[in-house]
Amino acid sequence: MTQIDTPAKPLDPLRHDTAFTVRLRRYREISGTILSNPTTVIGLFFIIALLCMAIFAPLLAPPNVPDPYQMPRDWGAVRSPPGTPGHPLGTTNQGGDVLYGVIWGSRTSLQLSLIVVSVTVVIGVCIGSLAGLVGGWLDEALMRVVDIFLSIPELIFALAVAAILGPSFTNIILSLCIVFWVKYARIMRAQIILIRQADYVQAARVIGDTRFNIFRRDILPNAITPIAVQATLDMGNIVLVGATLSFIGLSESGIAEWGVLVSEGQAGIASGRWWASTFPGLMIFIWALAFNLVGDGLRDALDPKTEDKR
Amino acid sequence: MMTMQNPMTEIATSKKAGDTLLSVRNLKKHFPIKDGVLQSTVGHVKAVDDVSFDIRRGETVGLVGESGCGKTTLSQCVAGLMEPTSGEVLFDTGRGGTLGPEDRIDRMSGKQKAKYRRNVQMVFQDNFASLNPRNLVVDIVGRPLRVHGEASGGLLTERVVELLEQVGLGRQHLYRYPHQFSGGQRQRISIARALALDPDLIVLDEPTSALDVSVQAQILNLLGDLQQQRHLAYLFVTHDLSVVRHMADRTVTMYLGRVVEHGPTETIFRDAQHPYTKALLAAKPDLDDDPDAPIATLEGTIPDPARPPKACRFHTRCPVATPDCGWEVDDIVRLLESDDTLFERLSGVSRKSELEAELAFETEEAACKLWEVLRSDRVPEAMREATEILDVKGSKLNVRFRDSDEIGLRALGSGHEAACVHAGRLS
Ligand SMILES: Nc1ncnc2c1ncn2[C@@H]1O[C@H](COP(=O)(O)OP(=O)(O)OP(=O)(O)O)[C@@H](O)[C@H]1O
Ligand code: SF4
Ligand SMILES: [Mg+2]
Repeated sequence: MTQIDTPAKPLDPLRHDTAFTVRLRRYREISGTILSNPTTVIGLFFIIALLCMAIFAPLLAPPNVPDPYQMPRDWGAVRSPPGTPGHPLGTTNQGGDVLYGVIWGSRTSLQLSLIVVSVTVVIGVCIGSLAGLVGGWLDEALMRVVDIFLSIPELIFALAVAAILGPSFTNIILSLCIVFWVKYARIMRAQIILIRQADYVQAARVIGDTRFNIFRRDILPNAITPIAVQATLDMGNIVLVGATLSFIGLSESGIAEWGVLVSEGQAGIASGRWWASTFPGLMIFIWALAFNLVGDGLRDALDPKTEDKR
Repeated sequence: MMTMQNPMTEIATSKKAGDTLLSVRNLKKHFPIKDGVLQSTVGHVKAVDDVSFDIRRGETVGLVGESGCGKTTLSQCVAGLMEPTSGEVLFDTGRGGTLGPEDRIDRMSGKQKAKYRRNVQMVFQDNFASLNPRNLVVDIVGRPLRVHGEASGGLLTERVVELLEQVGLGRQHLYRYPHQFSGGQRQRISIARALALDPDLIVLDEPTSALDVSVQAQILNLLGDLQQQRHLAYLFVTHDLSVVRHMADRTVTMYLGRVVEHGPTETIFRDAQHPYTKALLAAKPDLDDDPDAPIATLEGTIPDPARPPKACRFHTRCPVATPDCGWEVDDIVRLLESDDTLFERLSGVSRKSELEAELAFETEEAACKLWEVLRSDRVPEAMREATEILDVKGSKLNVRFRDSDEIGLRALGSGHEAACVHAGRLS
């Protein structure tokens, strides 16, 4: 046999690799790159804190009966400032505990963003894949729809849909689902058109693998990175847009939702009662910022130009 | 003696060296050129235009030509990755007898088609892009075996180790990602994958062009060794003539989608008949040419494959062109396109045929200027000789060229063919 050219990285003959250890090492390498960016770490820290808050809400603030997502009412302590015993962040005009709203609001936000992101990712990936793989008139038609959707600003569009559906938290979720899938469809289609031409896809065709397997094993895994980045960014954006809709009054009053709290508390700011809207507002800001920091970090770390040639 | 990996696939009676394994007949692949908002077709890139050749069992056919002449398109049609516009690719799936319409790869029965798929494999130029970056070597090389249900689990791993060892890699490389290897090693992985199903033919599209020279030699030697051991046929696509000389039994030269010369490699290198092949050979400095032979070099640019030149497509660049090589109105158009000062006063071209046209200019002076150019040595002498009518009336220039016949491949004996008016007469 001919002599082998020198390997790119020295091989350690004593290391016994299995598929499992090698994959594990790769994931560790990738997470190492992601975590080497301090702003990503800060964002991640806040995300974990917010998730803990949402998960352990019943322990942090005993659930209101019968519906824990409704603000509890303490009619004896209406408009108390922060520091009032039993109400460390004060109360609202209706005697709602602001701390309760902050804590349970994280749950509401998590529900909102998780539902909307998972629904829109599935819809977007399916429609984008269909357009990219089938092509022709179907692609044309789908992309025209996408163009129309993209020409309307997200907030205005969601606002219009929510207004038509009528004010309720469920309708906010629904309207965001209708609006937010478009970007995923567009990203997915572009990725598919790019990857479909890749030599490794051609190689899989020469082997004789089925179209479905090629999609599942070659196209999808290589197309999904930008979708994951966008989904992370949207986890933040959706809460922001959702809160804006709530603020305008498209949600139900009295629920433990940050946008609603900001909306209901803002009237008091003029009379010096800043706390009822400031704390929930701060939460919205932290939530959106945290996911955007991590999303941007992921985008840099998973950039295909650097990812595989490290 | 050849070693068969899988005796099940061997059909003793139908695998004799020298039998035609694959036959390309009158193959055309035209890519539509779309333009405008409605994306209407405004023309076709004639990437492959009427190509025929055979590949016999166990032999290497070298396919050479400049960039853009259609080599990749042709090899993708052969590998079944692209549907030809017309023409056929026939493949011997062991049906017995001579190749016939039932052996067309696009008309095969399901069972035959599966055999074709197994028996024709491909290695790509870009060693990085041809391996899925998210898969481990064991999955990449084992995939053909899994797809065709030949092995799974531990047996699959052992088969992959065997294949890796055959290409000079080993067990220690099983669980690695493509980016952890050097270019040459990645190409070995690609070769191992191509070998997995024990094919009859491997299409190699510039398999070494992206590699360092020293690594190139190793890969070429490996391919040579594998061919001996496994009785493989190769379609070896390259623009590097020294590689062809080293590897190929027969050589096919392509120019602008056409085969211009074709024959045993030794004959081609000793006695090339087509001026294009000669120019390619002359452009290769490390070959021991006959010092007395006139040295022809390639000048000018490759014409647009959407509007290929008439008759002999090489006539726009040919140093020994004759008046019968296909001079046409387009040659004047190409001249105008390359010279802005002539082009700028042109107001319209009305063609009566591809040989005859009236060129209208804004001024009489401009028409006269072109007239002068067409009679000067700025155009080839052969083109001047082929001009039957050339006159200026006012600001209009009339021109007509002599008609010429299509110049097809001419047999020159012992399998040597060339498409040139001089073929067999010039040496
Ligand atoms: N999918 C396509 N659509 C339109 N035109 C194409 C397509 N593929 C190739 N072509 C055109 O067909 C012609 C032949 O291309 P091809 O890739 O087969 O050439 P090649 O000989 O392999 O060149 P190279 O040496 O650069 O690889 C070129 O003019 C190219 O632009
Ligand atoms: S036919 Fe021969 S001589 Fe004429 S242009 Fe073509 S290559 Fe040159
Ligand atoms: Mg090519």
